[in-house]
Amino acid sequence: MEEVKAYIESGILELYVLGDVTPQERAEVEAMASKHPAIKAELDEIEKSLELYAEANAVEPSEGQRDRILNSLLTNFADDRNFPSIEVKKVDNVVPFDRPKQSNFYKYAFAASLALLLVSIAALISVYRDLQQSNTLVASLQTQSQHFTNRVNFMDHELSIFRDPSFKMLKLKGTPKSPASVLMVAWSPVKRKVMIDMGNASMPANDQAHQYQLWALVGGKPVDLGVFDADTTSKEMKEMKSTALADAFAVTLEPRGGSSSPTMSEMVVVGKF
Amino acid sequence: MLALRRREKIAVEALYDMYSASLFGVISRIINDTAVAEDVLQDTFVKIWNSFASYSTEKGRLFTWMVNIARNLAIDKIRSKDFKNQNKNQELENNVTFIDEQRNTVYKPELLGIKELVETLKPEQKSILDLVYFKGYTHVEAADELGVPLGTIKTRLRMAIVQLRKHFN
Repeated sequence: MEEVKAYIESGILELYVLGDVTPQERAEVEAMASKHPAIKAELDEIEKSLELYAEANAVEPSEGQRDRILNSLLTNFADDRNFPSIEVKKVDNVVPFDRPKQSNFYKYAFAASLALLLVSIAALISVYRDLQQSNTLVASLQTQSQHFTNRVNFMDHELSIFRDPSFKMLKLKGTPKSPASVLMVAWSPVKRKVMIDMGNASMPANDQAHQYQLWALVGGKPVDLGVFDADTTSKEMKEMKSTALADAFAVTLEPRGGSSSPTMSEMVVVGKF
Repeated sequence: MLALRRREKIAVEALYDMYSASLFGVISRIINDTAVAEDVLQDTFVKIWNSFASYSTEKGRLFTWMVNIARNLAIDKIRSKDFKNQNKNQELENNVTFIDEQRNTVYKPELLGIKELVETLKPEQKSILDLVYFKGYTHVEAADELGVPLGTIKTRLRMAIVQLRKHFN
C-alpha cells in the first residue's frame, strides 16, 4: 500500500487528469488505476473537484450560441446520414477526363490555324503576282488601244479628205532631173488646205543638210508652202501651209529649213491644173 | 449517455445545457476574443459529437474528456498563424477591455461559495492551478513562467486540488 500512496503523492494523477502527461505516463497511470482501486478512486476525486472548479468559474456563452452550435451539429448529423459521399467521386471523375480533351483541342486548333495562315500567305503571294501581271497586261492593252484609236482617228481624217468634194487631187510628176519621182497633192481652195500624201509618194531620200520644199505658183510667182523630208517609213497625209490660190505645185530640194525662193535647177517634181 | 451514442438531438441539447458554460469558462480564459472563443466552443462540440465513439467511461469522467478537447482546440487556435496576426492588430487598442472582461468573468458573484473558495486556495496554489487548468500551460511551462522548480510545481498543483476537494466536500 506504501507504493500506491507514494504514487498518489507524486502528483502524476493530477497531471494525468489535466492531460499534461506523455503517452507513456498515460499508459502507466491507466495500468495502475486498473490494478489499484484506490488510485481509481483518487483519480475520480480529482476529476470531480476540477469539474466543480470549472463549474465555479463557468462563463455563459452568449444567447445565440446555443442555436448556432446545436444547428451546426444537427446539420453535420443530417449530412452524415442522408448524403453519402458519392457526389464528390463524380466530380473527381469529370476533372481528369475533361482536361486532356480540352488541351488537345487547343493544340490542334492552334496547329490548324498556323497551317491555314501559311496556306493563306502562299495564296496571297501567288494572287498578288497574277494581279501584277494583269496590271501590266491592262497597261499594255490600254497603250495599244490608244494607239489604235489614234490610228482610226487619223485614218478617218484621211478618209474625210478623199471624200471631201472640195479637195482636188493633183499628181506631181518627175522632172528630167528625177524622172521616177511622184508626189500626190490634195488641195482645197475653199478650206485653203494643202496636204501631201506621204504614203503615195516616191522621192529620192534627202540627206541631213537638205530638205524638200513645196511651192505653189500663183500668177507665175512661187509661194512657200513648207518643207518636208522624203521619209519612206511615213505613210501619213502631211498638212502644209495654206493657200487659196494656185496654178501649179512644185517641189525643189533646198538647204535644210527651206529657202525664200526656189532653186529652179533642183526641181524634183511639178504638176499643173 | 445512451442517447448520445445513438446521436439523438435531445442528447446534444442536454450536453450543451450541462457543460457549455463550464467549457466556455476554460476556452474564454485561454482566448480573450469572445467571437473567436465562441467559434472554438462550436468546434469543441463538433469534435465531441464526431469522436464520441472514442470516449469510454472506464477512462474517466465525461467532463474530463471534454475539457481536454476544449483546452487543446483553444491552444491550437491561439498558436495558429492567423490568430497571432489578428491578435497583434488588436493588442494595443483593446488591452484594457480585455482585462476588464477578464475580471468580470473570472468569478461569478451569483455562484455560492466562491468567496470561500478564493480564501481556501493560497495565492501560489491558485496561480499554478489557473495557469495549467485555465491557461493551458504544461507544468513544465508553468515552472518556467513562475520561476520555481518542477517538483514544487507538482506539489503545489496537488495541494491546490486537495484544497478544492476539501472545499467541495
